[in-house]
Amino acid sequence: MLPAMGGAPLETTTVDLSVDLAGLRLANPVMTASGTSGFGPEHAEYMDLRKLGAFVTKAVSPEARKGNPPERIVETRGGMLNAIGLANVGLERFVAEKIPFLQSAGIPVIVNVVGHSVEDYQTVCRRLDSIDCVAGLELNVSCPNVADGLEFGTDPQRLSKFVTAIRRDVHRAKLIVKLSPNVTDITETARAAIDGGADALSVINTLYGMAINVDTWKPILANRTGGLSGPAIKPVALYMVHRVYTKVAADLGVPIIGMGGITDWRDAVEFLLAGATAVAVGTALFVDPQAPIHICEGIAAYLNRRGLQSVRELIGKLK
Amino acid sequence: MQRDRVIQTAHVVANRRLCRDHYRLTFRLPMFPPARAGQFVHLSPERRLDDSPMESHDRWVSELDQPMLRRAFSIAGLRCTNTGVEVDVIYRVVGTATRWMESLRAGDPVSLLGPMGNSFPVSDRKPVAWLVAGGVGLPPMLWLAAALQETAKRVVAFCGAQTHDLLALTLDPTAQPDGSAKTATPSAKEFTKCGADVVISTDDGSLGFRGYVGSAMAAYHQANPVAADDLVVYTCGPEPMIRFVAEYCVARRIECYVCVERNMACGTGMCQSCVVPVRDTADSTGWSYRLCCTDGPIFEARNILWETPD
Repeated sequence: MLPAMGGAPLETTTVDLSVDLAGLRLANPVMTASGTSGFGPEHAEYMDLRKLGAFVTKAVSPEARKGNPPERIVETRGGMLNAIGLANVGLERFVAEKIPFLQSAGIPVIVNVVGHSVEDYQTVCRRLDSIDCVAGLELNVSCPNVADGLEFGTDPQRLSKFVTAIRRDVHRAKLIVKLSPNVTDITETARAAIDGGADALSVINTLYGMAINVDTWKPILANRTGGLSGPAIKPVALYMVHRVYTKVAADLGVPIIGMGGITDWRDAVEFLLAGATAVAVGTALFVDPQAPIHICEGIAAYLNRRGLQSVRELIGKLK
Repeated sequence: MQRDRVIQTAHVVANRRLCRDHYRLTFRLPMFPPARAGQFVHLSPERRLDDSPMESHDRWVSELDQPMLRRAFSIAGLRCTNTGVEVDVIYRVVGTATRWMESLRAGDPVSLLGPMGNSFPVSDRKPVAWLVAGGVGLPPMLWLAAALQETAKRVVAFCGAQTHDLLALTLDPTAQPDGSAKTATPSAKEFTKCGADVVISTDDGSLGFRGYVGSAMAAYHQANPVAADDLVVYTCGPEPMIRFVAEYCVARRIECYVCVERNMACGTGMCQSCVVPVRDTADSTGWSYRLCCTDGPIFEARNILWETPD
């Protein structure tokens, strides 16, 4: 039986927006992307979080991290680069200060997890697996902005062993692996994550990018490089979701959370058609924190226009 | 849930050129939550995301010349009218977003999020207030001067620009600025109507004091001593300028509030990009980052760390 996680009804009465993400029932397929809506309270000032399919937190590491010095972001044509550096309050303060709010939010919560070592990830996952409101753990093995971020995420063999090691400690929460696009063949890391025991895949994290100030001859970001997100990366993300779905995930029955530059319902529908079971909205939240509501309403209107009963009728239906 | 800050469609009332590269953009909104001097609005083009599929391509092509992310602008003035609320921002045309703003005409819609951030603390304890503004640090000071009018303070505004035609003020030809900065004169109408006198500086000496506005403030201070306990300083402008003013005040134990500018993606505390390092005794390292958007943009000068610790 699917766990009932609540979720407020949108005004979309005639169509069924719910999806099944590896046994986790989401009231609709639209989630936040990690690192783009804080730990919840920040975003809740602008929208009713119960209208989300799921809330995905900023990355949590065992220890508190201050993050990178500024500049941390720069807008680029059709997108933006960020190098925040996984700033977070650390596991214990997260549990003490952030979990109570998330618990009261009444929606599935997915916590993005990061660390320097396998043990770090195990520490965070073990602790959070014991907290009921944490419906999923998303392993961040693909952050381009910290020295250790990509260590586990780009080598298929290491990734498989890494996920296997975490899997042993996660019994209740769904285990999601967030894949990096900064690899030659994303189907290899996708397969490795599934071999290791991933319940679902997040596709994709940001792409490596850079911007240079021609007056100072220095990189604009203090971290020198950053992760590119926003509409500029949508075609890349869509292609990778399609590849992972058709080559690996569809046959193995592993759902994909598609993300990368989604700003409106049309983008979301494209990702669903390409094989995503759910979608995450990130950069668009910076412009419009209510974007998930607009996207959900747009999907519902689209389904109505097409005479479809359920959003599930779109998943992977690319001709 | 009650939300104080909302996304609204504002309509442009006027977009008036003030001086070279500088404009004052006035919006009308049916309603606006209570706001105070120092707060900002976050602007972006109004996007209709549910256009018909045929319009999708056109939308993206047209948006190539528009900013994607919102841009933060201090509120320069706010008036209640019988049709709602009018909000002023003042901007200098420097890049993609401000070129888009320059193209706005009366009646055009703009997406507006706000009011955002904290505000300048105003107390009755200090009889003298100095407002120190450099370049586009001027706008929040205009609204602050209006707010201080209701207090009994003696207010002096120090306004600096690179050169005379980049000073976004209405100068009074009958009240010339003092080139030595020893006296404040009623030389800019925006401040004199609030009862504040003005010291003007330009980097090239083309108007008023020759040099930076911080030096003008120091010269005025020397000629017009005031006890530290009686004085509060508010400042906004380029980082080297506000740093000079902040350090000048901290060294003399003068209460000082700094309006800090940072690149922001969201303005709502979600992206964590607009960090300002501050002293923090609760942190084991003695410092921590605060967010310019939600913890600021106003910080007490003595708390700011001007170099990010390693």
